[in-house]
Amino acid sequence: MKKVKHSIEDKVISALIGIFMVVFVVVTLYPVINTVAISFNEGIDAVRGGIYLWPRKFSLKNYDTVLAMQNLLTGAKISVARTVLGTVSSLLVNALLAYVVSRKRFLFKSQLSLFWVITMYVNGGMIPTFLLYRNLHLTNSFWVYIIPGMIGAWNMLVLRTYMNGLPDSLEESAQLDGAGYMTIFVKIISPLCKPVYATVALFVAVGQWNSWFDAMLYNRMKTEYTTLQYELMKLLSSVMQQSGSADSAKFNSAAVTPVTIRAAATVVTMAPIICLYPFLQRYFVAGLTIGGVKE
Amino acid sequence: MKFKKLTSLMLVTAVTASMLAGCGGGSNEVSSTNSTGDNSSASAGGGKTDAVESSGNENQEITEFSYFITMPGKEINDDNEIAQIIAEKTGVKVKETWLTGQTAAEATGTLVAGGEYPDFIDSDDMSVLVDAGALLPLDEYIDQYPEFKETWFTEAEWDKFRQPDGHIYWINPFGNTYGESKATTHNDEAFWIQVKVLEWAGYPDIQTLDEYFDLLESYIEANPTMEDGTENIAYTILCEDWRYFCLENAGQFLAGYPNDGSVIVNKETMTIEDYNTSEDTIKYLRKLNEEYHKGYVDPESFTQTYDEYIAKLSTGRVLGMVDQWWNFAYTVNDVFKQQGLDLKGCNYVPLGLTTERGMENRWHTYDDTVNQASGIAISVDCKDPDKAFKFLVDICMDQELHDLRFWGIEGVDYLVDDEGLFYRTDEMRKNWADTAYQAAHRCQYSYFPQWGGTHTDGKNAMKPEEQPSEFMSDMAEPLVKCFEAYGVTTYPGMIDSVVETNAEWFPMYSFSNNFTTETPGGTAWALMGECKHEWLPKVVMADDFDKGWQDYMTAYSACKPEDFLSEMQAILDTFK
Amino acid sequence: MARTNALKKDRKITWKEIKRQKTLLIISFFVVIYGVIFYYWPLTGWLMAFQNYKPKDGLLHSKFVGLEKFQFLFSDATFLKVIRNTFCMGALNLLTTTVMAILFAILLNEIRHTLLKKTIQTVSYLPHFLSWIIVTGILHDALSSTGIINDLLLKAGIIDQAINFFAYPKYFWPIVAFANCWKETGWNAIIYLAAITSIDPCLYEAASIDGAGRLARIRYITLPGIKPTVMILLLMNVGNVLNAGFEVQYLLGNGLVQSVSQTIDIYVLKWGISQNDFSLGTAAGIFKSVVSIALIVVCNAWAKRAGEERLF
Repeated sequence: MKKVKHSIEDKVISALIGIFMVVFVVVTLYPVINTVAISFNEGIDAVRGGIYLWPRKFSLKNYDTVLAMQNLLTGAKISVARTVLGTVSSLLVNALLAYVVSRKRFLFKSQLSLFWVITMYVNGGMIPTFLLYRNLHLTNSFWVYIIPGMIGAWNMLVLRTYMNGLPDSLEESAQLDGAGYMTIFVKIISPLCKPVYATVALFVAVGQWNSWFDAMLYNRMKTEYTTLQYELMKLLSSVMQQSGSADSAKFNSAAVTPVTIRAAATVVTMAPIICLYPFLQRYFVAGLTIGGVKE
Repeated sequence: MKFKKLTSLMLVTAVTASMLAGCGGGSNEVSSTNSTGDNSSASAGGGKTDAVESSGNENQEITEFSYFITMPGKEINDDNEIAQIIAEKTGVKVKETWLTGQTAAEATGTLVAGGEYPDFIDSDDMSVLVDAGALLPLDEYIDQYPEFKETWFTEAEWDKFRQPDGHIYWINPFGNTYGESKATTHNDEAFWIQVKVLEWAGYPDIQTLDEYFDLLESYIEANPTMEDGTENIAYTILCEDWRYFCLENAGQFLAGYPNDGSVIVNKETMTIEDYNTSEDTIKYLRKLNEEYHKGYVDPESFTQTYDEYIAKLSTGRVLGMVDQWWNFAYTVNDVFKQQGLDLKGCNYVPLGLTTERGMENRWHTYDDTVNQASGIAISVDCKDPDKAFKFLVDICMDQELHDLRFWGIEGVDYLVDDEGLFYRTDEMRKNWADTAYQAAHRCQYSYFPQWGGTHTDGKNAMKPEEQPSEFMSDMAEPLVKCFEAYGVTTYPGMIDSVVETNAEWFPMYSFSNNFTTETPGGTAWALMGECKHEWLPKVVMADDFDKGWQDYMTAYSACKPEDFLSEMQAILDTFK
Repeated sequence: MARTNALKKDRKITWKEIKRQKTLLIISFFVVIYGVIFYYWPLTGWLMAFQNYKPKDGLLHSKFVGLEKFQFLFSDATFLKVIRNTFCMGALNLLTTTVMAILFAILLNEIRHTLLKKTIQTVSYLPHFLSWIIVTGILHDALSSTGIINDLLLKAGIIDQAINFFAYPKYFWPIVAFANCWKETGWNAIIYLAAITSIDPCLYEAASIDGAGRLARIRYITLPGIKPTVMILLLMNVGNVLNAGFEVQYLLGNGLVQSVSQTIDIYVLKWGISQNDFSLGTAAGIFKSVVSIALIVVCNAWAKRAGEERLF
């Protein structure tokens, strides 16, 4: 291992990093702690505001309400299913596509890239998309969570950039050994791409886990395909008057505005991701030793 | 090089596009047969008139209807207890779905584009649904239930719901009073003031805006802080988004007009007047400007969010404001109770202020307000329109069902005393307000027709919140003392508005709410809203009021309010 | 890492080459079909912008109105102001979030204590999961006249009277940029951290031996190492500057700062969708797409000339 030289520069930088990190952690941790504190506070009491790091009037009622939702279990199952299936399929297809467009000899390299880049900035709008999915029989079905978003230009380009950074000599020497494109992809490129695979998997998984708009739009009447997030959103929008109107507020006035339930729902959403994270984290924090294959 | 790239890209797209065209054509066919299928079933359903009796016999079999409402709301559980009881009695269960994360227009737009409708619909954009042929005309069904037809609306009111083609497609479920009105609260807008301020001043007679602010000023001079040392705020204004009515429309009331919302109607000349530029509004804003500079208006008024506003009120430090009851009272009163602030006289009572003493005021509307712009409709896709409509009628006309919806189960949610009066224990009240209990037990079917006012037994109220004993049980001592001092028993009594029947056109906002930017008037209306949103706070904060007002008027007239007013006038003329 | 240009010569479409790349071409073929169906086919909806679209008539039967919707947009002085707001906020957000994320990733990488590093990183991305309504609520609290920011400023003697930050248009854009950084820095840094892992550790060792200090190592090894990723993300996001958002501005805005807070998305919601005018929204969408594509084409050309990683 290298010896760290404790020069003055080194110490100053360490100190600066230390200060930066302390401020950063305090500033970013605060809203999270605040949310957790509010989630454990009694609802009516929280209306008064002024809760910071610790609940003022402790209560588990908010979690009770959130966890007592009737479709919680179905929603959780579907959410897990779409997250797992969606992540695996999306990673696979995006990686394959990224592999194709990162091949330097590929004939339609830039055309195919452009084709996908454009998709990031154009959008046909909600109604045409809805009609398309209906005609493809994707509405009222689980597959609407998996198929439409499977290839995403953003993820593909991130993967492509990483693959571009890998040395060309790998491909060339493998080809001399008679390996086909698929073999190179599976045996040589993929193992080197673990950090970026982990990153993209995380992005896709979080996206899948958090999305609810598709469940609302395409499976509104199908309770069996509801997702956890959609159920939470329904709960939240029923208690949140932010986007309401005078009439709805007037006639549904029994509903109070439990900021506490919002907080509890947020914590419930966050928890599984926080649990999953350490398994992925090692790929992009610890650093991989791939030095042996570098040019 | 560039050219080659482009052609090859086009080639790729052309190949796949042609494949897609084939596939797309096929699916279009599917969708078109689908929609004709819908239509035929619809006309069959509409033609059936002999099914009334037969649907009565089918009660044993439970039909589940879907109901989509373009409002945010609380979904009930599938095994909801009261819904189950209602289902056993009527053979109908309704699965309500509410608006989530979309605007009402988007939701309605996708429904129409998709061409598949739930059994019942209540949308803000009924005309879009009618245009799309999504709704069943209800006239024939209404005629089959003469009792409902007569009690629910008057002939004139039904006519308001008739569309250009002469049919009625929807029924507004709200704002109907059965028998004598039991209203104890003033659910609308007012200048509110804390009971303790009135008590401190010896319950003076406050009639004008000047008197109101004089009282607030002298109170705050004498009591700059609350008992616990929190600084009192004399007056705050909520301005967030659509809730800026707390600043915007007091002028019409101060002039003695009712809440037509967007305009003033001068009944004598039958003309539309603009309250935004009226003398009363200028006086009102000038007063706010003066108080703002004296430091009595909360400096955060124009930047606070709704949550912050409610939190502020909840501490009991705000002495007065303009607001509508439903916008603050339910939450704030609960907090007061929990904190014991109600015993310290922090509850708000409404005052019916006018610009001058001795003027009539119309802050409170005693008569029912019928909003013809929206309501419950039955779609052409409805499984069994006869049964659906029967349910719609039964659910409000059958007192037993109505009680189940709003009072709950006797013995569980409410008790009946020797004289037949309904009452609740604290435990019952608490359950009734509990979110989880609501989902599992309570089933209001809140967007189905419902009554306010007096129960058919002549003693109770249709809804618990209007039951006198329920109302009284909630009142803290300072509030009771205040009511006694003024010799009133209810909130509307505090305001003392003119009791009158509503004009036929009332409320005018039910027309302006449906304006779209397709007409010059609608565009002007939207622009005026934007302009007022920005300028009203600026006028109140202006160092020189007259200059601020002039600038505001320059911006305001650029919105062409005359376009809007003339379209409103045209609507009013139809009532001549 | 240098890109070899020698290979370019081979990229001629010949039967031999097609045969050789059979696998790649088959994959591309299916992927393009997928893209056309799910991304390009819905663009038929763009027709709406030239129609007075009514859901009942659908795309096929709505009345064509030509460029009326675009005229409506561009004849309105407000819309031009809205474009300015959107563009400025988008650019400011892009700049600040990118700089913060890179800075954070690099500094985090300098921490040698693994557990500490992991902990900080875990904390950093958490705000990403809070909804805007929660974040803006806290921000509103902190910036209120009795909030912590005013407190600190008063105590430090920088100001002598509490500032009502939300009442002045000049503070609005920086507040929005800060909110974005606050919420997304840690999350955005993940991708840079992943990029840093691809840097060969030997390079650092070699540099150390050559006597390079920490700053020099960051400057000459880490930064060039993540440059392709930075470039690609910048290019992609430049195309998104007009998607500066909706929720933040909506939740933080008020009547007084309306002239600087409205974005295209808010404008479209107000004037289009909530008025049942889907066509207007589509027209604004087309405008955004055209600007985005123009921006990335220009930036991409520039990247190409500079020899940097590029989008296509």
